Amino acid sequence: MREEPGAPADPDPAPRWARWFVGVYLALFVVCGVAGFEAWPLTGWRLFADARQARQAGFQAVTVDRDGRETPVPFRDLPAGYHGDVQVLKGFAGLPAARQAAVCQAWAGAVRDRGGEVAEVRIYQTVTDVSRRVGDRGAPPARTLRFTCRPEGPG
Amino acid sequence: MIPRRLEGWLFAPGDPRRLAAVRIGLGGLLAARLASGPYPELATQPPALFRPISFLRLLDRMPSPEAVAALQALALAAAVLATVGLLTRVTLPVAWLAALPLVAMTSSLGKVVHNDVLLLLCLVPLLPSRAGAAWSLDARQRPLAGRGSAFGWPVRTAMVVVAGAYFFSGLAKLLHAGPAWVTGGNLRWVLYAASDTQARPNPFALFVADRPLLAHLVAAATLAVELGFPLVLWRPRLAWLFVPAVVAMHAGIGLTMRLNYWAMAATVLVVLVDWPALADRLVPTGRGEVPGPVPAEERR
Repeated sequence: MREEPGAPADPDPAPRWARWFVGVYLALFVVCGVAGFEAWPLTGWRLFADARQARQAGFQAVTVDRDGRETPVPFRDLPAGYHGDVQVLKGFAGLPAARQAAVCQAWAGAVRDRGGEVAEVRIYQTVTDVSRRVGDRGAPPARTLRFTCRPEGPG
Repeated sequence: MIPRRLEGWLFAPGDPRRLAAVRIGLGGLLAARLASGPYPELATQPPALFRPISFLRLLDRMPSPEAVAALQALALAAAVLATVGLLTRVTLPVAWLAALPLVAMTSSLGKVVHNDVLLLLCLVPLLPSRAGAAWSLDARQRPLAGRGSAFGWPVRTAMVVVAGAYFFSGLAKLLHAGPAWVTGGNLRWVLYAASDTQARPNPFALFVADRPLLAHLVAAATLAVELGFPLVLWRPRLAWLFVPAVVAMHAGIGLTMRLNYWAMAATVLVVLVDWPALADRLVPTGRGEVPGPVPAEERR
């Protein structure tokens, strides 16, 4: 980033507007980066920024058929609009009741569209200790039932 | 607003072909992302699942499928035109503006997706620039532009953005996790969790996670590469180290966690590699022994 010693003065310097444009843009970019501030598309660049522990809290959503069999909602296999499951589940408790019901309804509808039977949607809070391994897999998480909803439509 | 020494570097004359290469690379990348993005699927998302970011908070659901189809067609067409350099000063800003809400949709699921953000941010300095002055349909009828200050700052600003993105990623790890990001079991637990959420155990993730020392080394290398990346601005030759390192990092994340960051890696390659100088070395232009017009600061 050094200037060449003895370099001749630029006969065609960058215009003032370009200097202001770059200055303001880089200032905003740096402020967001340093402060971790999200002003999308400017961002705080928090990629894997937190230190994970072996014991990890999370949530699991399952559908229940008429015979009481539970099946995890296959979020990865659903359309892209359903892929925010981790964040929706994390904030589920704070949603108004009507919104919670609408979320359940949306998940049930997507599972039914794939031929699944849904009489009920259950949301479990989970605690997984990923350091406890059973072969190549983690030991099953400890689960606590937090929410149950019965979406409308065919079971 | 900008320290004098940094200003001198940012606004030094540049090669119009380097700017053109960045336009072609980023424009082509944007076109590829626009053509393959999940926007039509996102447009059918039930409103209850909508978690908008930024200006999409003005809406109570994803934009309609019709609006998304129109925006995608406009953005894609404009991106292709900007890539070939037709009406560049219009088509590049139109492509960027039309792409913005589409890319925002991908981050409106509750989490910021950084994959395309670096691409969008690196395109910003090109929007008002003379990016179509070389290697473009616009330039066919004009005499070849020589080096000038108009062609340096857009590329160097994009280089600062790339370097800053990795530096701030590393800084966020230090600020939020501290040394434990490297010295603790962090990376092992991340990789175990990533493997456990995949349909089949991931052998690459498990290979690292099962070896604590290797996991610490990979974590330390990641942090070193991210925090050290701005050195490429000071010593351009270090790009030979840092650019392959971040490409390898993204490839590793893809292999172990199945997270696709190829657009970010491609953006780094487009912006940090001096493509005209490389082309001059690979295909002599018949201009004698004189090497290509590599800017002074890039010859060191």
